[in-house]
Amino acid sequence: MKSAPLTLVLPLIALGLAAAMLAGVFWGTAAISWPDRWSILLRADTAPRNLSLIVWEWRMPRVLLSGLAGAALALAGVLMQTALRNPLADPYLMGLSSGASAAAVAAIIWLPGGLVEQLGVPLIAFVGALLAFGMTLGFAHRPGRGMTPLIVILAGVAVSLMFQSVTAFLLYFGDPHATRNALGWLMGTAAGSRWGDVPLLATVVVILGIVAMLGRGVLDTLLLGDERAQALGISLPLVRLSIYSAVALLTALTVANLGIVGFVGLIVPHMARLLVGGRHGGLIPVAMLAGAVVLVLVDLACRLLLAPEELPLGVLLALLAAPPFIILLRRVNHAL
Amino acid sequence: MRSEPLLQLRELTQVVNGKRLVDGLSLSVRPGEFHGLLGPNGAGKTTALRCLYQKKMPTSGEILLNGRPMADYSRTEWARRTGALIQENAPLHGLNATDVVEIALLGMRLTPAQRRRRVHEALDLSGLTEATDQQASELSGGEQQRLHLACLLARDPEIYLLDEPTNHLDLHYQLRLLDAIRDRGRTVLATLHDLALASRYCDQVTLIDHGKQVDQGPPLDVLSTDNLRHTYRVQGSVSKQGLHLVAAV
Repeated sequence: MKSAPLTLVLPLIALGLAAAMLAGVFWGTAAISWPDRWSILLRADTAPRNLSLIVWEWRMPRVLLSGLAGAALALAGVLMQTALRNPLADPYLMGLSSGASAAAVAAIIWLPGGLVEQLGVPLIAFVGALLAFGMTLGFAHRPGRGMTPLIVILAGVAVSLMFQSVTAFLLYFGDPHATRNALGWLMGTAAGSRWGDVPLLATVVVILGIVAMLGRGVLDTLLLGDERAQALGISLPLVRLSIYSAVALLTALTVANLGIVGFVGLIVPHMARLLVGGRHGGLIPVAMLAGAVVLVLVDLACRLLLAPEELPLGVLLALLAAPPFIILLRRVNHAL
Repeated sequence: MRSEPLLQLRELTQVVNGKRLVDGLSLSVRPGEFHGLLGPNGAGKTTALRCLYQKKMPTSGEILLNGRPMADYSRTEWARRTGALIQENAPLHGLNATDVVEIALLGMRLTPAQRRRRVHEALDLSGLTEATDQQASELSGGEQQRLHLACLLARDPEIYLLDEPTNHLDLHYQLRLLDAIRDRGRTVLATLHDLALASRYCDQVTLIDHGKQVDQGPPLDVLSTDNLRHTYRVQGSVSKQGLHLVAAV
């Protein structure tokens, strides 16, 4: 399949994101009439105050945070797949999700509620993710020989398994009520998002997105192979360490805000690659926008399908994200 | 008057896991010279070349470009002046042939028009005009080798470092692409297994075995019956008419 022109794909996805975000703001458990939707959005004086509160204080930050998290995970996925030259690489490969899970579950189950409230599960999960990241890099580093992608993958798997067993132990022996809370967090949710959560993730996503775009030529050379990239003047250890650090920051922040959100970081980069090819100049923006669209829509579905109950993101993501990917795969002959 | 060497290796040594893969290799390549690095499998040819394209830092010894040590050059400046054809399997997923050549132009200050022209000319010279939009991962082994040669031709560096440039190539493209490189008058250091091609293209050759230098000079002098017997373990001869092989010994 020939790649579609970027000038066509990019505006279409941007339009799709705008539509998805509007849908995310307009629809939810509370029914709002069409005239009210627009008056609330435009902050008209006639807008009902209680519904305004729902839209502006609940839905808006939630939609923004979902979009940012989708973009962050998609960017992290692109970077990991490029750095490791492995189509199965995803942002969680370095043990980030397992570290975050173990820390968050330990906090929810073990620590006194007041302390958890004070510190916040996001901060604890963030620290857990970075701890796992540090351990993966520490295990993967061999003095004088650097870090080969295979060793990083294996070290990440080892760290993941270790933290997964800690999480399983905690869940198995934990208090059932606390365990249910922890499981809800583990499956990912954008519920409870606040405006205060948005600026940090937005800043990191925008800055790292720009940096990745500026380094698109260097990222492209990694696709030619390690030795060829080095022959073109690339310092592989430096580039890889930068990528791993960027992925760790993007992923840890996302996990801290939304919990474990799978599939986006693995599948969205492939969808984007099938649309616009592997060059990072097109791949990065398309993947980031597509990641945002996917997560905003899936979060909306999570709110609507069993309303007023909410589904965790993880439950729906696999169900909704996998079929379009499989259909896309069937239509191309050069995938993976 | 003979010109000063453009590229010099002085007592280059590369030790990996206690094994001396390259052991005191010294050679000089003058501007415009096609220099062959010859030897049997495991002789250390590719390892020596890897030091030149910065994959590995030599354990000891010196590499000089225009009389200045490699350490005096920044990584990017070195990469701008040298270009390497490397035997490396990379899946090239999501890239078409044009993408691959464009990516290889990283760091070159070219206008978009110059960039397009170079890519087009290199693909044309490599016989890949019909495959410009084809996925690189779907090209045959020979076509991929031509694609990587096209990358080098598009960069057109001062020094071509070629690791087995004729691998997977049919006879037509072996001659066509090596002719193209020679006709550009650039300086070339190439590892070659095909001794007939070595005698046809090389001005000078260095023969190595087990990392050590065995002989150096014009190809017909170095590829003597004795050297073929002791280094390549074959009975045969190389002359202007080509390679005549009798048997393995």
